[in-house]
Amino acid sequence: MISVENISKYFNRETILHDISFSLEKGEILGLLGPNGAGKTTLMRIINQIISADKGYVSYGGDLIKEKHLINIGYLPEERGLYQSMSVEKQILFLGKLRGLSSTEAKDQMEYWLKRFGIQAWRKKRIEELSKGMAQKVQFICTVLHEPDVLILDEPFSGFDPINIELIRKELLNFKKKGKSIIISTHNMNNVEEICDRAILINEGHMVLQGTIHDLRQQFKEDLFKISFTGNMISFANALWTGYEIIDKEVHSEDSFTIYLKMREGNKINDLLNAVIGQVNITGVEEVLPSMENVFVKSINAQNEVLSE
Amino acid sequence: MNKIILIAQREIAERFQNRSFKWLMFLGPLAVLGLVYLFLSTTTSTNKDWKILMMDKKEVFDGKLATNPPSNLEFDFINAFIDYEDFAYQEKYQDYDISVWINEKIVSNKKVIISYRERPPENIQRQIIYLVERRMEEIMVDQFTELSVSKFREIKQSLNFSFKDVYDPKNEKSTTASWVGFSFGTLIILFVFMFGMTILRSVSREKSNRIVEVLLSSVNPRQLLTGKILGVGFSALVQFTVWAVIVGTGLYLFRLTLFPDMFSAGFVADEVAKTDFSYELANQSPFVELIYNQIQYMNMLIFFGLFFIGGYLFYGSFFAMIGSSMGSESDGQQFIIPLTLLLFSAILSGYYVVYYPSTTLSTWLGFIPFTSPMVMMVDLSNGFADGSAWKLILSIIILFGSAFLMMIIAGRIYKNGILRFNHRLKLRMLIKWTKK
Repeated sequence: MISVENISKYFNRETILHDISFSLEKGEILGLLGPNGAGKTTLMRIINQIISADKGYVSYGGDLIKEKHLINIGYLPEERGLYQSMSVEKQILFLGKLRGLSSTEAKDQMEYWLKRFGIQAWRKKRIEELSKGMAQKVQFICTVLHEPDVLILDEPFSGFDPINIELIRKELLNFKKKGKSIIISTHNMNNVEEICDRAILINEGHMVLQGTIHDLRQQFKEDLFKISFTGNMISFANALWTGYEIIDKEVHSEDSFTIYLKMREGNKINDLLNAVIGQVNITGVEEVLPSMENVFVKSINAQNEVLSE
Repeated sequence: MNKIILIAQREIAERFQNRSFKWLMFLGPLAVLGLVYLFLSTTTSTNKDWKILMMDKKEVFDGKLATNPPSNLEFDFINAFIDYEDFAYQEKYQDYDISVWINEKIVSNKKVIISYRERPPENIQRQIIYLVERRMEEIMVDQFTELSVSKFREIKQSLNFSFKDVYDPKNEKSTTASWVGFSFGTLIILFVFMFGMTILRSVSREKSNRIVEVLLSSVNPRQLLTGKILGVGFSALVQFTVWAVIVGTGLYLFRLTLFPDMFSAGFVADEVAKTDFSYELANQSPFVELIYNQIQYMNMLIFFGLFFIGGYLFYGSFFAMIGSSMGSESDGQQFIIPLTLLLFSAILSGYYVVYYPSTTLSTWLGFIPFTSPMVMMVDLSNGFADGSAWKLILSIIILFGSAFLMMIIAGRIYKNGILRFNHRLKLRMLIKWTKK
């Protein structure tokens, strides 16, 4: 759907984005990750043609992105903005028409979304009369009203309570089912793990990582395993010998444990199982992959070390 | 184009929902009418009848006036002199509003003292003076000449000097006409300032509440800026039209109802016709003359419209530029002050041109887009001499050309500045943004 090719952007001789390339496929949710000030918002603005890149280009469906393509994109900026003195209804209709809907289409869509989010009763209220969460919902409706093929959402979950986060999450998955493509910038790594297919990580304007969520977690795995068993803890420890390092343990009862351990000296999980089978009764074995939060922190720290050198 | 219209429509709707805009639309012209009413009522009479006691001890006037007074003036003659105190307090004189003392030596000393209880309006004063003077002329003719009264009046009339521009000899208008243009020009500057500030506020509000980023993901900065300037401009035009209609209707109604005497000029005009010549004092007051007779409304309005639109687009771009590049609400103040001074200097340049219409500086001020909407209004009210209408055309072309150029520059600054927040705005920054 969208392809970002070698984008660079400079402000006052400072590099904001350096040679960023990635693509967004149809029906895919892509997480755009990075610490504050990494250049995520700038990148989103460039894709939306709000600002121009100093180098590189963005293409949409194989064509160089132009103003006519913007109608197929729904953009939710991080800094939420609505006309405070305008009513919910007028606001939605105005932005809908601005994105190419006819009055009737905009009205129909508005009815659908107000009902879906259960805020029909608020339609005549001015934005300044709404709670923050309610205004966020209106903003979300304005973003998706014209049924764009691509959604670019900067921190879509911020300002929402857990119930509404779940509501938005479901809507995003619905969009994905319909074949829409979504770019999400967020600091909430749980959401990334749950809904994103792929992620790219930017730090100080540089692309640090990109890949599927599974691949990224694999890439940063530390040969950490979780074994649950019943039996004698000492027998289990004696059987391990030096090829393994116990990192942590959870005691469930006198004879029920979960142990986290790291492989050493090239040992595999099969070697471990061979060593302990017969000593204890194994009830579960699982490789522990790093969370996206760990991936994020590790790769940013590594990148920062490289940059400081 | 469709998006520009949508943006403009939203601006218009916002203006019309704004309470102060609505108040200004109706209260503004009513205030103007109120001021005009005040001016008119000080220069014209009310419907009051005036009773005048002519104290003519020697019966110089022989109990007569040269012509019948208007119906609201009643003259009684008395062959005695009553001092101020008696006139003021004695009961038998209480019916009289005014006393006119025709002294015994009036033929030689030419002194007339008029005392009043309540100061008569200007036109009543003029009527009394007119009646006394005409009667005096009859007496002088009778006593000292063999001439007819009309011949005497012809001789008595003072020389009529008139200054004329050799390049524009047909232009017989006085500075009074220039003031008409000055008023129109001032109105343009006033509206430009008012609605320029509206653009600035609207842009900076969109910037500070961050909706601009949402808008910019659907429209480009130039469309957004153009829609905004057009929307606010249309509201300004509507407001101006409402002003024009209310003030126009009000003035028309004043003429029909409240001040009918002033315009028929009643007996004075009749007398002027009879005697074949006119005196200065028989003229209407300059203010009335200005409002009702000298303003060529149609001609002025067409060019007013053009210069208003040109001036608004030109200055409006500056206001939009400041609004979009401000780091915070208060940050733009430092740039609003010089812009306000520029607008003020436009008014001053109009003042200069009223008094020095033909200098080289005046000609240049008519071409500089900062001052041309004001100066050209003054020039227009004076009329253009044959063959110099090109100045008007050139001025309009320069104004619209500059406005177009400024809108392009404003578009660039808008694009670069609208998404910058919390910085300190510097002129260097603005210049840099115009290049991208």
